[in-house]
Amino acid sequence: MDGLGYFGAALLAYIDWWPLFHIAWATLLGIIVGMMPGLTATLGVALLTTLTFRMAAADAILILVCMYVGAIYGGSRSAILLNIPGTPANAASALDGFPLARAGRAGQAMGIATAGSFCGTLIGMLFLALLAPLLAEFALKFGSFEFFWLALFGIVISGHLTALDDPLKGWIAGFLGLLVAMVGQEGIHAYQRFSFGSVDLAGGFGLLPVLVGTFGFAEVLVVMKKPAYEAVKNASDRIIPRLGELLPYKRSIARSGVLGTLMGLIPGVGEDMGAWVSYAAARRASRERERFGRGSVEGLLSAETGNSAAVPGAIIPVLTLAVPGSAPAAVLLAAMIIHGVRPGPLIMIEFPGFVFEVVAMVFYAGLAILLFGLLLTRPLLSVLSVSRERLMPIIFVLCTVGAFAIASRLFDVWVMLGFGVLGFILREMKYPMAPLVLGVVLGPILDKNFRRGMVLSDGSLEPFLTRPISAVLALLTLLVVVLSFKSLRRFFANLFKRLLPS
Amino acid sequence: MVKADFLTSLVLIALGIAVAIESWRMPRLADLGVNPYTVPGLVPGLLAGILIILGIALCVRSIQAGLSRSTTQSLDITTSHLSLRQSPALYRLGLCLLLTLGYAAVLIGRLPFWLATLLFVFAFIALFENLFQNDAESRLHKTSTLARRLATALLQAVLVAAAVSAVFRYLFLVQLP
Repeated sequence: MDGLGYFGAALLAYIDWWPLFHIAWATLLGIIVGMMPGLTATLGVALLTTLTFRMAAADAILILVCMYVGAIYGGSRSAILLNIPGTPANAASALDGFPLARAGRAGQAMGIATAGSFCGTLIGMLFLALLAPLLAEFALKFGSFEFFWLALFGIVISGHLTALDDPLKGWIAGFLGLLVAMVGQEGIHAYQRFSFGSVDLAGGFGLLPVLVGTFGFAEVLVVMKKPAYEAVKNASDRIIPRLGELLPYKRSIARSGVLGTLMGLIPGVGEDMGAWVSYAAARRASRERERFGRGSVEGLLSAETGNSAAVPGAIIPVLTLAVPGSAPAAVLLAAMIIHGVRPGPLIMIEFPGFVFEVVAMVFYAGLAILLFGLLLTRPLLSVLSVSRERLMPIIFVLCTVGAFAIASRLFDVWVMLGFGVLGFILREMKYPMAPLVLGVVLGPILDKNFRRGMVLSDGSLEPFLTRPISAVLALLTLLVVVLSFKSLRRFFANLFKRLLPS
Repeated sequence: MVKADFLTSLVLIALGIAVAIESWRMPRLADLGVNPYTVPGLVPGLLAGILIILGIALCVRSIQAGLSRSTTQSLDITTSHLSLRQSPALYRLGLCLLLTLGYAAVLIGRLPFWLATLLFVFAFIALFENLFQNDAESRLHKTSTLARRLATALLQAVLVAAAVSAVFRYLFLVQLP
């Protein structure tokens, strides 16, 4: 009941000129960022974090949440019109969105995508409001042992799910990220690890320069290496969907919303898995299965609902466990810490109203994407005609300024450059970036909690495996590793077939 | 890809060994009365061990894949006969790297920010619009002359340099490099 009160208060607080102005421009900018190939949600949120550094905490977080929601939605535009997903989260939308556009139904496709994103945002928001307080209370039982296993589980499952056909590369990326986090002053004795006498290295690699490098500079290199993308198509048909078009798919919408939120909730697995899992589930349960991939409205709807539901889903672990649910959520986590909000299990005790303020932010961002998406379709299309030769240098200048802006040192620019090149090379070799980023975020958590746990248990590994929550997390981690081996998966599948009555 | 995986696995194993050695060399801080389970080198050492294991797994897998492939098809394409027409992608990448690294690593910090940004944006747009002629860009070539394209590139460079400097310094109150 307290929650409803906080939520209502937050909703009312945002009905004022400045907050509404921030919601409007941040969401619009987010949609544009999401639309443009070469700009991802992570980069958008990271750059805005560095730029809103000096703003008040509440305003800054509001802007970032709106940018996040807007960007994940905005990618559907270029997915539908160019067959190029604006962000990886919209890859599934291109499968059915682009055939619809080619059949002259681009406007309808964009309207459906907008409606789906709005529904997904709302469903995710509901889960955020309901689950976050519960999860925070549950997380109060977490001790060092549990946080260690949570961090390790996050790396393992993120590495597996973001590189489904090659989990080994996902795990390598994750553990590289963990190692990167080891550079600098460590958290227990303040000993400077791997600094080799350099004062800059003693401060470690800042998360934001690393993110801007891997998601900004690396993306610029990827885009410039590819041949130019083709011109925009026209969208002259009706955009605003009729309710009758959406009602037949209400079960798909609900299912996609739940699955998307769940995918967002899992650490390091984000909006793209939210879209794919929702898409796959919708296809399996659909009566129009054969239309998927050829212009199915249900397919596009489920993909967009799934990826938008993952946004609030990814914010749940950020608030309650200080563990990011996706790459943009990792930036949001860093931003919250920079602005003095302390996410984690104690959030419901220290800042109880904040969780519901974030729920209200998500709600307003959802409304904004609905409005802008349906009303500003044609003006926004002109944004897509900017050639990449003109756009990429601007993005790179912003990356450079953004990396420098946090601590005003050129070292951060060098970090951005280094991780950009490294990120590009790893991407060319099919390594996923999300586990790398997650590793950099979770490294300190894993390190400190493992050592604290060892002190508490006086060197024994037993509590790591016998405490109930730790045991569950350890078992899940082991299961994910074991099930990634195809031979073992087949073995278990055959076992089940033989054990269960046919 | 197989060759790349094999080389990467060697790099990973070498990195893991280097990190493990450095972790072992980290002080135990025993003179400070510190609990031996909290030594700074513990977790990096363990992570290095895991990385070595993952590197070995990648190495073994790439060797197996390479052996099975060499009996059925030829190996990687040689890069000895590249020309602009055959692999524009590599040239685009090279030019992009040169320009971006030149800007961020060399110009920034030595020149005033607005000047460095202006030079970078102008060079980027001018070079990419005029050196690479493929389908989408040939549209531009048909409708304007070289001088005109360079002029618009310069105009955009000036606008970007001015806008970024002004917006960030005065609106966002961010320090510029």
